[in-house]
Amino acid sequence: MPALLEVQHSMRQRLLVPGPPNADLLQEEVLAIYRNTVTSTLVYALRLSYPAVLRVVGAEFFEGAAHEFIAAHAPRSACLNDYGDRWPDFLAQFAPAATLPYLPDVGRLEWAINRALHAADAAGIDITRLASLGDAALPGVSFAVHPALSLLQLAFPADSIWRAVLDQDSAAMARIDLTSGPVQLLIERDAHGVQVRRLTAWAWEFTRSLAQGKPLHAALDETAAPEGDALNALLADHLSSGRFIDFSCTGEPKS
Amino acid sequence: MRPLNESIRYSSATSPVPVSAGIGLRFPHHRQVLETTPPVAWLEVHSENFFGGGTVRQTLLNVRRHYPVSLHGVGLSLGSAEGLDPGHLRRLADLVDIVEPSLVSEHLSWSVVGGEYLADLLPLPMTDEALQVVCRHVQQTQETLQRQILVENPSTYLQFQHSSIPEWEFIAEVARRTGCGLLCDVNNIYVSACNHGWDADLYLRNLPARAIGEIHLAGHAVRTLDSGRTIRIDDHGSRVAPEVWSLFEQALRLFGPKPTLIEWDTDVPALGVLLDEAGLANERLRAARQADACAA
Repeated sequence: MPALLEVQHSMRQRLLVPGPPNADLLQEEVLAIYRNTVTSTLVYALRLSYPAVLRVVGAEFFEGAAHEFIAAHAPRSACLNDYGDRWPDFLAQFAPAATLPYLPDVGRLEWAINRALHAADAAGIDITRLASLGDAALPGVSFAVHPALSLLQLAFPADSIWRAVLDQDSAAMARIDLTSGPVQLLIERDAHGVQVRRLTAWAWEFTRSLAQGKPLHAALDETAAPEGDALNALLADHLSSGRFIDFSCTGEPKS
Repeated sequence: MRPLNESIRYSSATSPVPVSAGIGLRFPHHRQVLETTPPVAWLEVHSENFFGGGTVRQTLLNVRRHYPVSLHGVGLSLGSAEGLDPGHLRRLADLVDIVEPSLVSEHLSWSVVGGEYLADLLPLPMTDEALQVVCRHVQQTQETLQRQILVENPSTYLQFQHSSIPEWEFIAEVARRTGCGLLCDVNNIYVSACNHGWDADLYLRNLPARAIGEIHLAGHAVRTLDSGRTIRIDDHGSRVAPEVWSLFEQALRLFGPKPTLIEWDTDVPALGVLLDEAGLANERLRAARQADACAA
């Protein structure tokens, strides 16, 4: 009698690996019912997370690519909102999509949007508690960022493409210059929903350093952030928008 | 781990679900339900859809203010030989803490192997080993959630040659060993009975009436396969079939009136259609209550 684990591994093979060669018809047509549900559920999950990619490539192409993706990358979580993080990288090496070089970047943006939609709730830090540290301690402060926040640097203007595609605005699409250079994006969730913001290169790099947990002084040293009003305004915006959910002041400021 | 025969009896809920018909709440109806608060006794949602935060979870919490809510899981995979995913169980426990649901249920099936999630409720071989695996996981879930869960009988399209226990005995034994309740899906019993040549009435008669905490009703599809075999597929995509209504009436005769849910997941219709189906279930629940009163 086969052990349960053995049964489950062999069923996984039969469901995910296409075209089992030695299957008899009666078994195969019943397994096909399960295979159908597994595949269509996962394709549907990808369609929900990647509406702009779907619209760019069309349903038929999307489904064909998704079948290959699913066979190579089954979900690692039973929460399907978590499924599909590797889809943009898959598209980047998927030969039939090579004629749309911006497609993986649109996918990366949509994944960040999906994360922002479904990430856990977390409250922003209490600014009075931060202020009570005193000015001298501030350079040594490091932050934890909200789980809904993503920072993306993309070679193509994926934010403009994404909006134009979902709005079905062909005039806007025609105005997009694919060679305009990289965009730096901050994706987050606020009271109104998911927001996609463009940052300047310095603001994005500085914010990314903070998001990596580096203390303020290190983030400043690493990036070409201008001291003064612009920097203060950026930090104030981060704080008032609840982008930081925790802080610590272990990072020693350089003397 | 504590031996199974010493398992704790958990209470089922802080606020019980009314013995009346509820409907499965799906995304297309979220806004309408919140804006119009239709007259339905309770609502059930798929737990995994609310594991995240943001407006999605807030919607559920808003719904919870108006209705008793049941959390129905499709991903815990009680039948996985390799054990439950602790991260999944923790997220379920967090959701249960915040929603304070009237019922929490999972399926007698498996979906996870090698850490991969096969997005369907897959059939288990009905063996002693599978029984032990399921009981261990029900017990682990009840300990983590500190409450009783309901376990739902699946619809299946294949049986394993090495199965040695009838499904109705298997699931009754899970309830006996772990103290869990049962979610009796009448449509699933009908679908599986037709597909495998079982006696649906015998299935119902073998379930412990006291353990039944909820009944599910849904529509199913009938397909003819290439081999000529006719198979019923539990697609939750139509109204409850007349034969399933009859079986529901039989279930009520055997178990007495129980909280009953209308499920619809494929081609979700207008909310009014679900409310209409719930009304049909309520007519039968009323009749069962009257029969109970006469018998008393």
